[in-house]
Amino acid sequence: MSRGPPPAASSEHSRGGSLVRAQAPQPAAPSPSAQPASLPRRRIRLQPFDLRADQITDIKVCLRPFRAMGPRFDVEHVGNKLVFHNYGHGGSGWSLSWGSASVVVEKVSTTLQRKVAVIGCGIIGLTTALTAQRAGFDVTIYTKDLLPRTRSVRANGSWTPDSRISLTAPAGPEFADLWERMARISWATYRDYLGLPGNPVEFIEHFSFSDRPFDAPHEEKPDGRTGDYASTGMPQHGEEFARYSDRIRDIVPAGEELTPAESPFAAPYAKRNSLMLYNFASYGHLLMSEFFQAGGHVVIREFHDPSELTSLPEKVIINCPGYAARDWWNDKSLIPVRGQTAWLPPRPDLPYGLHYHGASAVSKTDGLMVQAYDLDNEGEMGSVGNSFEHPDRTESERAIKVLADLFARSPISEG
Amino acid sequence: MPRKPSTRLMRSHAFYAAALSLASASPLHAAKPVASTVPSFTTEQAQHGADLYRTACAMCHGADLSGNFQTPSLKGRLVASWAGTPLSRLTGYIQRAMPLMAPGTLSTEDATALVAFLLRENGAAPGKSPLPTVEKRQASLKFPALAVGPDTPSSK
Ligand SMILES: Cc1cc2nc3c(=O)[nH]c(=O)nc-3n(C[C@H](O)[C@H](O)[C@H](O)COP(=O)(O)OP(=O)(O)OC[C@H]3O[C@@H](n4cnc5c(N)ncnc54)[C@H](O)[C@@H]3O)c2cc1C
Ligand code: HEC
Repeated sequence: MSRGPPPAASSEHSRGGSLVRAQAPQPAAPSPSAQPASLPRRRIRLQPFDLRADQITDIKVCLRPFRAMGPRFDVEHVGNKLVFHNYGHGGSGWSLSWGSASVVVEKVSTTLQRKVAVIGCGIIGLTTALTAQRAGFDVTIYTKDLLPRTRSVRANGSWTPDSRISLTAPAGPEFADLWERMARISWATYRDYLGLPGNPVEFIEHFSFSDRPFDAPHEEKPDGRTGDYASTGMPQHGEEFARYSDRIRDIVPAGEELTPAESPFAAPYAKRNSLMLYNFASYGHLLMSEFFQAGGHVVIREFHDPSELTSLPEKVIINCPGYAARDWWNDKSLIPVRGQTAWLPPRPDLPYGLHYHGASAVSKTDGLMVQAYDLDNEGEMGSVGNSFEHPDRTESERAIKVLADLFARSPISEG
Repeated sequence: MPRKPSTRLMRSHAFYAAALSLASASPLHAAKPVASTVPSFTTEQAQHGADLYRTACAMCHGADLSGNFQTPSLKGRLVASWAGTPLSRLTGYIQRAMPLMAPGTLSTEDATALVAFLLRENGAAPGKSPLPTVEKRQASLKFPALAVGPDTPSSK
């Protein structure tokens, strides 16, 4: 399952041979950004993906479990059980999973219990279960579905730790601190899964293309919305969403702007960065086997009311049902944010990703993933409140076309 | 296992046509339910539920209720998940959560009719008295353990 040996000679990258700086420097073109003078810069050559709608193998739709105040971490009694909540991670559940698990398990440790029940086996439940095992607990997961059938594997699965995780004002400064702690723990934990067979977690080269300078302010389509979360109970503007990434700039590789002469595709502005990816198939299997190897148990069971938890043998329960908490815990603070990914056959030989005009394509080991993350330029507000969890093929076809058109405009020289 | 005929039947066009018109001749009906006490509901309630289902639910859960990889089936596993649970919880869930893109839009009567429809589609036979819509009364009724029995000769 490895992506093959690195090709000899000129590749700058450890996997795949697609990312090669051309030998002959291109004539200088006006640069959108200041260049460090010392680096000899050449065009990065990428083989375009074969993006055609007739290559779609699967379309997945998911609802991000968004809460304005950030994930739910409070503790409550249900009958004689102590329930620790761990749900509502918006568009950041994969990224923050280990940190979130660690914060909760630390609290659970103070109960001095040995056995713990975890409800749910999405990425939050599974990493919580593993973290509890590592802290010495006997863990049983109670869930209606295992990871491959959860909303988690219907996500994109890359490092996006502050993607619609909270709104700045309702979450407040304490959450910003907690976020930073979670992000740092997660990031550090992921290092332990790098470089393994099957690439459960890996870094790839990622490119952003734009027709406008990256520092130009984002112009949301005027949509006639007034007020804000405080006055309406729903976010109304993209600026309400929290951005915390600057707090961890010291550990996340910085991006760099490319000149048109360096840019692999014909868009006026280009950036590249290293992006951490979670490959659902290999990473999911690895986590499940770690759980079983450490003596974990799974019980397939569906709950319909919090009171049903009183029938469990464990006194301490960690609750990780994701968006479903809206319905069986009657938690109306969960706001759905719809998202859809289309999956084309894997291209392990082309390990890169890109986005342009609200469409993105990322080469993962389990497929070439195409996502229409913001085709209509709605920014963070796109799909907020939308719970239509059913595939919309037209949306995926539009995203494919946006990127295919970019490739078509970018003649790539051979050799 | 001699269960092939009904599997084939499910895939046949005839079955889809039948399922689309929501006639009550689905394969599960061919099997005799081995039931605990089955709460009573009327034919009219189930039919009202069928009409609602076709317009508000079938697009995701499928005309034949079989769901898909990401949407749960409302047959078979539904019984396993809900058997023994107070019916009011199922009605409450449907009313709070479904249809997924417009939760909270169904009246208690409509949600109750959908429960009657789900009971029927899972093999329960309609009776004389309607399923009560009052939550307290529904809370004393349990979702029945409707087990599929051996295929009858006519369904083989
Ligand atoms: C399109 C899209 C792209 C995304 N991209 C990213 C990304 O790139 N990076 C990132 O970090 N995050 C991303 N996210 C967000 C991330 O996917 C979520 O935050 C995360 O999946 C939430 O995980 P969870 O385990 O809490 O929920 P789920 O995956 O929904 O898991 C819930 C678990 O609880 C179980 N359960 C639910 N109800 C019951 C019940 N009644 N009884 C028993 N069990 C029950 C379920 O079976 C499941 O096992 C994305 C989301 C979407 C929709
Ligand atoms: C947009 C797609 C969609 C529509 C429309 C929809 N559902 Fe659902 N339904 C789902 C999904 C997805 C789930 C799983 C929810 C979860 O896991 O949180 C579900 C779950 C359910 C469940 C729980 C199943 C179980 O095994 O516990 C029932 C019952 C249900 N739906 C009934 C209905 C009814 C009745 C309607 C019509 C009024 C309807 N649904 C409309 C997508 C949909």
